[in-house]
Amino acid sequence: MSAKPLGLLAQFETAADIMNAALAVRDAGFKKWDVFTPFPIHGMDDAMALPNSKVGYFTFAGGLTGFFTGMSMIWFMNKFDYPLVVGGKPLFTPLFAFPVSYELTILLSAFGTLFGLALLNRLPKLHNPLFASERFKRATNDKFFVFVETADPKFSETETRALLEKLGASAIEEIQDTKD
Amino acid sequence: MNFPLFFKRILAALACVGILTFATARVLAAEHAEAPKAVAGQAAHAETPDAHGHDAHGHGGPDSSDIVQQFGYSYLTAFMFVLSLIVASMFFILIHHLFDAAWSVPVMRIAEHMANLIFPWGFAALLPIIGLALAGKLHPWMPLTDWSLTPTAAADPSLAVKSVMFNKLSFTVLLLGIFGFWAWMARSFRGYSLAQDKDGAAIWTRKARFLAGWGIFAFSVTVTVAVFLLMKSLQHQFFSTMYGVYYFAGSMWTTLATYYGITRWLQRKELRPVILPNHIHDLGKWFFAFTVFYAYIHFSQYFLIWNAAVPEETFWYVLREKGTWEHMGFLILFGHFFLPFLLLLRIDTKMSLNVMGPMIFWAWLMHYVDMTYNVMPVLYPKGLNITLWDPLCFGALVAVFGWAWLKDFRAFPAWPQKHPRLKEALVHHEIPKAGQAAAHH
Repeated sequence: MSAKPLGLLAQFETAADIMNAALAVRDAGFKKWDVFTPFPIHGMDDAMALPNSKVGYFTFAGGLTGFFTGMSMIWFMNKFDYPLVVGGKPLFTPLFAFPVSYELTILLSAFGTLFGLALLNRLPKLHNPLFASERFKRATNDKFFVFVETADPKFSETETRALLEKLGASAIEEIQDTKD
Repeated sequence: MNFPLFFKRILAALACVGILTFATARVLAAEHAEAPKAVAGQAAHAETPDAHGHDAHGHGGPDSSDIVQQFGYSYLTAFMFVLSLIVASMFFILIHHLFDAAWSVPVMRIAEHMANLIFPWGFAALLPIIGLALAGKLHPWMPLTDWSLTPTAAADPSLAVKSVMFNKLSFTVLLLGIFGFWAWMARSFRGYSLAQDKDGAAIWTRKARFLAGWGIFAFSVTVTVAVFLLMKSLQHQFFSTMYGVYYFAGSMWTTLATYYGITRWLQRKELRPVILPNHIHDLGKWFFAFTVFYAYIHFSQYFLIWNAAVPEETFWYVLREKGTWEHMGFLILFGHFFLPFLLLLRIDTKMSLNVMGPMIFWAWLMHYVDMTYNVMPVLYPKGLNITLWDPLCFGALVAVFGWAWLKDFRAFPAWPQKHPRLKEALVHHEIPKAGQAAAHH
């Protein structure tokens, strides 16, 4: 079992503290770091300088696929494969195909969002080295965490630790790579 | 209330309308004299579209060569446009109080003053409509009715069964009553808000919430009734229970575009201390949401009528799929929905003045096209017919209402000074961008 250091996990006590910490870590120029909180904190995206999520593109692609699937499905079934007159209406018009296309737009948009989210977050992921930390369990309860990776070019064992201490971290823990 | 000032305002409003009417009549009379053939040509196709295939309107059918009618229809179109801004502002205030919203506090005065245009200006602008309608120049059914509630329109059974609502008495009393109610409600909301500016007491917020609680129901009913009377009953045979919502959805859309423009403009002036990027984004999001909502409502109306294919309903759209009206319909489909929808899907376009600036004017144009599409085919069944009245009526009403709004806005504090949610609105989840954190703390 190799014990390669993965990064520093700093614990904070309040939402205000974690906000300040995130702003400071961001402005110190770190790129490979993350914040864990028990509940969503408004403005954390900006505080971490996260760009707009790319999930929207998956949603849009899913929506377009759904819309044109609905349209072409009804065209194929009612006009091409098995022409069927209903209520004296034309064999195909986008009008009556619209509700189905619209529903499929929503359905496949939702799928696009869900699977895009999973893909971008590399989910499902059954294990994370942070789970080895006893302290980290309280990230889902009442504590706030910043994790800075050693892989970040700005990372330095002493300086990063000093920065996190200065920001008011109540505890700092080194996380080891627990894989294999 | 300062009564002399209040009478002066009404007189000023009436004078404006009078002068404009006179001036336009002169201009158009000259035009009329120059081109008698063109006008006579319109008269040839001036029969009313009729659901039942026979002339049920008697002598009351619109005649598009009548200059007063041409004015009346153009004026009604312009009036429905400015009424949109007032009605939607009322909704904006109601929803703000109902949801105890924080984000909308800095732009509340924009809405409060716009809703208060209903009195005296909205009233003054309504009077010519009531006058023209009673004179039989607007609603084809009007000459068939009298001042009683009993069915007198035996010639037209579809009118006889609706005669409780469609008669001169109900028309006048309902419209004046509804406008009176709106005026009272708008005045109350602004009154509470201005009173809170002075003492910051919570009672004003509570009063506003109470009023909003039942006001939202009264609002939806009155909007529907007013729109039925003013616009839908131009073709009284038509049935559509969602017509009121349809008008409301388009109104909100246009009004939010207007708020967006005003907010961007005042952001550099009176509202500088309170408007943050997130407020702009929120207005953009609402505008986007109503792009979808309007399309949803209008499509639903069309879809249900198309699918059911009942003659009492389809004639309304059949008329609007003839001549250039068909192109106008497609313009609404693509210009009112697809263009803004696809353009504003992204977050950044909702914040960009380069996109939203032209979009505001586009929204105004599209809403005007929408109002034209609802009103004008009754008078010009062959297709779009633009007269000089259109720009004149629209310009005059927008100028008067715009001026009145600006005057009110400048007369009071630019945002609710002591609103309980103001502090929250001034933070509005706004986080300093990279590199600014040090300055922030």
